[in-house]
Amino acid sequence: MSLLNLNPQTVKQLKRFRSIKRGYWSAVLLAILLALALVAELLVNNRALMVSYDGEWYFPTYARLLPGTTFGLDYDYETNYRELRNKFEAAGEGNWVWMPIVPYNAYENDLTSDRYPPYPPSFEAEHYLGTDSTGRDIVARLVYGFRIAMGFSVLLLIFNYVAGIIVGCAMGYFGGAFDLLFQRVIEIWSNIPFLYVIMIVASVVVPSFLTLVVVMALLGWTQLTWNMRTSTYKEKSREYVSAARALGAGNVRIVGSHILPNTIAVIVTFIPFSIASGVTALTALDYLGFGLPPPTPSWGELLSQGTNQLQAPWIVSSVVVAMVVVLLMVTYVGEAIREAFDPKQFTYYE
Amino acid sequence: MTSYFVRRFLLILPTFIGVTILVFTLTRLVPGGPIERMLNEAALAGSEGGAVVSSGFDGRGGSVLSDEQIAQLERYYGFDKPVIISYFEWLGKIFTLDLGTSTRYTEPVWETIKSRLPISIFYGVATLILTYGVCIPLGIVKAIKHKTVFDNVSSALVFFGYAIPSYVVGIACLTLFAANLEWFPLAGFVSDDFDDLTTMGKALDILDHAVLPLIAYLAGSFAVTTLLMKNSLMDNLAADYVRTAIAKGMAFKRAVFAHACRNSLIPLATSFGNTITLVITGSFLIEKIFNIDGFGLLGFESLVERDYPVVMGILVISSLLFLVGNILSDICVAFVDPRVKFGSGGSNQ
Repeated sequence: MSLLNLNPQTVKQLKRFRSIKRGYWSAVLLAILLALALVAELLVNNRALMVSYDGEWYFPTYARLLPGTTFGLDYDYETNYRELRNKFEAAGEGNWVWMPIVPYNAYENDLTSDRYPPYPPSFEAEHYLGTDSTGRDIVARLVYGFRIAMGFSVLLLIFNYVAGIIVGCAMGYFGGAFDLLFQRVIEIWSNIPFLYVIMIVASVVVPSFLTLVVVMALLGWTQLTWNMRTSTYKEKSREYVSAARALGAGNVRIVGSHILPNTIAVIVTFIPFSIASGVTALTALDYLGFGLPPPTPSWGELLSQGTNQLQAPWIVSSVVVAMVVVLLMVTYVGEAIREAFDPKQFTYYE
Repeated sequence: MTSYFVRRFLLILPTFIGVTILVFTLTRLVPGGPIERMLNEAALAGSEGGAVVSSGFDGRGGSVLSDEQIAQLERYYGFDKPVIISYFEWLGKIFTLDLGTSTRYTEPVWETIKSRLPISIFYGVATLILTYGVCIPLGIVKAIKHKTVFDNVSSALVFFGYAIPSYVVGIACLTLFAANLEWFPLAGFVSDDFDDLTTMGKALDILDHAVLPLIAYLAGSFAVTTLLMKNSLMDNLAADYVRTAIAKGMAFKRAVFAHACRNSLIPLATSFGNTITLVITGSFLIEKIFNIDGFGLLGFESLVERDYPVVMGILVISSLLFLVGNILSDICVAFVDPRVKFGSGGSNQ
């Protein structure tokens, strides 16, 4: 119910956001891309979407592993659906295999060709953007890498926001010794050479997905904290806070249900930029080899392969285009949100 | 004001200790530290036919090390003591400007770092000059020609630079202009035949190698600086004092350059101090991409090779530069803008 009862201010901001076409359509497109990435198994996978064999239907995508013997093949390991498709087509007995658009997953090395990888883009082999230097399909690596990078950034965002909002609000609201203490901590913290320290940590403990998120969150929570502190500090001196206190509201209630909604502009404006910086940082770390452990599909790892294999320009160009498109869209959304929440900032005078 | 800056300078020390103790402890917790790496190398050399590679560490190396020798090595690099003690020993050495000895090159860390500094400084200074040399005029023109074709086209470019990280720009440039079109050399700071070239040839050679990395460096700072300049100039142009100047009959050009421009430079000063850290921190990825033998690449290689004395040495220098750079920024702001008062009620901002 509360979702339908948006207050007029929020409605106005939403309208303003929608009126900024570039940002609005970027947001729509990004949402579609994210939704598609969530069901990437249906689009980019070496498992068939559907197999019709001897009158029975199989849906292998999210199912258990189906051994080759299921379909009358002579092996016990997982069915190679691409070969199965060709076999069925050649046999012409009415059996068929329906493969995803890109019939490869991000981990398998396609070494069927008689040359050495990387293979250039080819529609015939269904490597629409070619393969990397170990014969893995680039589209698959890009799509799953996108999903991982986005998941990483969102998780990082949540960590940073939880820390930033709690500490920032407390600093601004309580002030005094607590505020002073954390001011010093943040000052020390923000003086750490960020990327270098993450690399040192990553060279010490081979990072898993979660440790990398935690390490980056440990180093990255200060920015939002500082902004939250400032805006809480401003809001605290407004009359409505005194009024709430006069009515007997406790600290948690004042901060949670009165001050926080009024700092929503800060909170929301930061989201796209945090996502962009999360993706950028993760890709940089992966590029340098201090990110997620191989063979995790990642844009940074593809970039590093591409720069080592300059005779295979399709590797670099696909990643660069993908990064440019995604980051531009995220930034468009960010600009639009910022403008929707704070139209004054970009008003120009004659 | 003076007391504020004195306090800021004094605060460098605890911050510095905080940063270094954190990293130092980390490097000590590692499996596969420098001793193990040396042992591996020695074992490898032994199995490859006995060629002694590890003559470096005081002649103690050989194909196989005895326990006693390992203990000796650990003592030599201070690995035999608890972390906190060896940290303070290390810190004591830092205060006497001794950064220790590289485990990889077996020469003093400072020598290793010093040999890379000229290259990094070259790129740092060139980027600095180019950034301000391009961004300030561009910002001015964009502000004056606001909402014209020129402004819109350059805005698209600026936005692009804003959204795309500089290493991606670097990689794209490298692939397109160096690998495919072969307009520029692929990597390095100079060519292999550098020593045989004439002075003019040497300068051209450096320039030839510098074009692409500089584009990548510029892409990083270009957008923010240009927009900052444009927006602050536009704010100033709308201010009453400029309107008054024009109403009095002053030429528009003079009003812009003599009055508005000077005040618009103030926001740029806030980031000026940090540009000195660009020499170190900004160069990591780009030096790796273009294989430039500078400070950043040294840091990267030391990390890969677990050469922790060098890693710590670089951390010392970069964090000190960072800290000093922040203060320098504040000094710059106070210098160009007499209205700014630090230290009085500053904690409320």
